[in-house]
Amino acid sequence: MSQYDSNYYSGGGGGGGGGYLQGGSPFSQGGSPGMRKSEVSNSLRPFTIAQINRATQAHTDAEWRVDDAEIGQVSIIGQVVSVQKQTTNSVYVLDDGTGSLEARQWVDSEAEESTSGGIEELRYVKVNGTLKSFGKKRYINATQIRHITDPHEIYFHILESIYVTLLVERGPPSNPAGGHSAYSAQKNAPSAAAKDQFSHLPALQRSIIKFIMDQPPRDEGVHVALIAKAIAATSGEDAHNISDALDKLMDEGHVFTTIDDSHFNVPS
Amino acid sequence: MFNGTDEKEFSTRVNSARLADYVSKHVRLPCKVLKMDGERITVEASDGGQVTVNLAPNADVLDTFIEVVGRVINPTTVQMLACVNLGSDLDLKLVNDTVELIHDPRFYSKMFH
Repeated sequence: MSQYDSNYYSGGGGGGGGGYLQGGSPFSQGGSPGMRKSEVSNSLRPFTIAQINRATQAHTDAEWRVDDAEIGQVSIIGQVVSVQKQTTNSVYVLDDGTGSLEARQWVDSEAEESTSGGIEELRYVKVNGTLKSFGKKRYINATQIRHITDPHEIYFHILESIYVTLLVERGPPSNPAGGHSAYSAQKNAPSAAAKDQFSHLPALQRSIIKFIMDQPPRDEGVHVALIAKAIAATSGEDAHNISDALDKLMDEGHVFTTIDDSHFNVPS
Repeated sequence: MFNGTDEKEFSTRVNSARLADYVSKHVRLPCKVLKMDGERITVEASDGGQVTVNLAPNADVLDTFIEVVGRVINPTTVQMLACVNLGSDLDLKLVNDTVELIHDPRFYSKMFH
């Protein structure tokens, strides 16, 4: 192990394997046409260690790929098999049952060691970071390591890894047919939608909202006199009750005043 | 303490029904401790089956729910190599659903082996 470490330091400077720097890989990717900086490189995806160990890289500066899909940051959950603290970094060997993998965390002199200080052997940890390789050995350059305190997270991680793998393989599930039609129905028949959305309100308040919605849409909304006149005509309520109802609608955010205190509109 | 698991080796998560496929191999068995009896304990695997676990000499079985990392001796007995304490609250049905998905041929060879 010690030989490996000394190799690491002597090779690290020239080889471009230096911890944090490679994270800014848009620049090292420059060879690709159009300077394509994929969004994937900023994403964080859950993996099993077996998947990480199968990841491939076309050359040492290229992005990593799993099943031909580019990966950015990775997240794994594994059991800590060994902890090795050194002056500039800590090395954790992780095993999640599908394989084992090293995670390295560089000691940040500015930050406290609280994040990595208490990592214990045999316990499960979650590690976020980027995949690196040095020689034939690959490891995760960890930005974050923490113990798992709720065991369900271990199983959640497995299920999420499966889910994301399927998502990448097949694309997102198609939208349920209902989604679109519900939306267009609301567009076509605002007053019908108002009925449903405001069904919990008293009849008077509901009729005010319906009236405002049925007017031609204008930014300044409807003048209070117009509302009072129309509602009085249809419901027979006096101006005082209508004013109270409007106040209540205001309080609950169903209507708002626009250019002055006399014009009302409904949120679109 | 962890010498039994060499780097090249896998320790697949299993329930009691899957033990038969892993005789003499390493597994991870999430389970509930039912009975402690000296050198051996009886546990309930995530699918409800009972398994006898021979304890490792220095094992700390502290919690109700544990994950036994061990070698399968026969379909109902596991030699423990290490024990991960998982606390007093674990949804074994969720664990079992997860174990079954791990062994689903669509995912096993690609993600878990």
